[in-house]
Amino acid sequence: MSAEQFPSDGSGIAGHGAFFQPTNLSPEDAAKATAWVEKHVDRRTLDLSERMDDVRDHMWQLEKEGEIIVHRISDAHRPVDVQTLFGWNKKIPTAQLWHHKSCGQCGNIPGYPTALLWTMNKLGMVPGRDYLDETDQTSCTAWNYHGSGIGNLESLAAVFLRNFHQAYVSGKNHGHDTGHFYPLVHCGTSYGNYKEVRKYLIESPQLREKVKKILGKLGRLVDGKLVIPEEIVHYSEWVHVMRKRIASELQTIDVSKVRVTVHTACHYYKMVHEDAIYDPSVLGGNRTAVGTSVAEALGAQVIDYSTWYDCCGFGFRHIISEREFTRSFTIDRKIKIAREEANADVMLGIDTGCITTMDKNQWIGKAHDKNYSVPIMADIQFAALACGADPFKIVQLQWHASPCEEVVEKMGISWDESKRNFEAYLKEVEAGRIEYLYNPELAISR
Amino acid sequence: MATYAEMREVFEDIKADIRYDHELNGCLNCGICTATCPSAHFYDYSPREIVQLLWTENVEQIYDAMQEKIWACAQCMTCAARCPFKNSPGGLVAIMREVAIKHGFQSAKDVLRPFGRVMLKLITTGNQLSPDMIQPDHFPDWGPNIQKVKGNLKTLRKAIPVRTLQTTDTAWEVSLKTSVEMYTIWEMTGVLESLETMDENLFDVIQDFIDEKREEYEELMEDASAQD
Repeated sequence: MSAEQFPSDGSGIAGHGAFFQPTNLSPEDAAKATAWVEKHVDRRTLDLSERMDDVRDHMWQLEKEGEIIVHRISDAHRPVDVQTLFGWNKKIPTAQLWHHKSCGQCGNIPGYPTALLWTMNKLGMVPGRDYLDETDQTSCTAWNYHGSGIGNLESLAAVFLRNFHQAYVSGKNHGHDTGHFYPLVHCGTSYGNYKEVRKYLIESPQLREKVKKILGKLGRLVDGKLVIPEEIVHYSEWVHVMRKRIASELQTIDVSKVRVTVHTACHYYKMVHEDAIYDPSVLGGNRTAVGTSVAEALGAQVIDYSTWYDCCGFGFRHIISEREFTRSFTIDRKIKIAREEANADVMLGIDTGCITTMDKNQWIGKAHDKNYSVPIMADIQFAALACGADPFKIVQLQWHASPCEEVVEKMGISWDESKRNFEAYLKEVEAGRIEYLYNPELAISR
Repeated sequence: MATYAEMREVFEDIKADIRYDHELNGCLNCGICTATCPSAHFYDYSPREIVQLLWTENVEQIYDAMQEKIWACAQCMTCAARCPFKNSPGGLVAIMREVAIKHGFQSAKDVLRPFGRVMLKLITTGNQLSPDMIQPDHFPDWGPNIQKVKGNLKTLRKAIPVRTLQTTDTAWEVSLKTSVEMYTIWEMTGVLESLETMDENLFDVIQDFIDEKREEYEELMEDASAQD
């Protein structure tokens, strides 16, 4: 070893920081240490699927052993099979869905869930039978956890099991059997977090034991057992499997001149990545399929761009209290690229935080002469617009800060006229004449 | 200044988390995680460094990184998706943050102080974010177009054609029973305790709120059984 690798000033091995120091091990001890490292290195593989466990196999085993109850996706849920990263099969239920809402969407981008419910209605789904949106649910609490570190695996697991137990039993209040409604998770972070938590619940008897006490106290065990869902399903996966029906049965507006870029949420495909949908017919299977697939089915021009893999800059805590990071990253790595490289008419997202981040952090770029703007909305909002949904009443674009009016106009919808109609509708709302997508009584959990 | 024994205790707490062994499998310093990390663009932060410190069990440097660096992570988990070892640097950071809170690090208190409003909302309502928090006054940097139809927030929310979303102080209407169940989860999993360690004043406010909601729920239950 050369002297440069062991600087005398204590700064460590060159390029590796001060904490790197020579071990000075004897040859025998060095061999032992190397063997230990090699043992761990051997866990690495380029083809991870061969060595990676499918957690669902263990889940079925636990059920067989009487440890848990699996909330099954039955034929009544009219499932569609898709393939995930390693070609594994995943069932996506298309009916009898329990809407598990997103706090960021409902609080900030309400057109997200309304566009989804509107699309379901248009496809003939009957509220109270084919879907349920009720008040008995908390958020997954993972936004706070990822932002602050307040919370822990046990609290996240208990919240997951509580909400999914409610989904499991919710049908009873509406004259259906237990298990009638299957949870459809709206938020990307909830989806990633729930998948991770489910994995640890299945793998750890200690964790199961701890949360069982909590769920028991809440009266949320079934026959003394925890209820775990067969699949964790994101709304964009429902949109993915319904895309051809949406396009063939509902589409009324030609979007073939619309240039679309897609930003897929990190927590959709980077957490428990083996469970995200990949489809060889969508960008050659080189990107996760959701988001892109519905834009393609509608006939829009999907434009790839160099920073597709980058996060949006949301950061959970950063968007609230370290905003300079969030806005700088999203402008430099997303908005600027979508504008300059792809000349996008719209950027579609599939999650709460990304859409908020990219939508709200464009105007501030002017402070540094970064004058870039791109309309931002969710895949389902774009699909609903293409199917004739009102930009204000249903798609609720009035809450978006980015210039959504530009893409609406390009689709041949008059923004000004829609806005005037909506402002007139607000008078009706003030007079108590409110239009609903489903009977509001259905929302009340008893 | 913490003693070595104190720093060792902090490290042992990190290692004791059941996720630790799943999220740290080895490291060859390839740096793919840092290359793909959004926070590494703007902060003195490297997921590779975090993994290396843990892998080499460098308790002093781990303790040091827990003062500031771990709070730079955006928790996007891009690092976890890319690591050839299937490490999750972001997941390890989450564990380190929990431990920093458990040990009441002043640096954690400082970082989280501006986040208090969000924690108050989440712990008391189960919703992270509510429409009345996203007002132009709170986010001047979001520009003048934050709301493209002017009007009263309550009316604008009433114009959303879904009953559960017609709220202003929560993202959706949460039933009282749901909230009360959530408070039990917070208590039984030590979340309220963590909160008390971080911010006693915020904890007091939240505790009062919880007590009030529980009383309200008990009264509701009594009324319901009286009617039966």
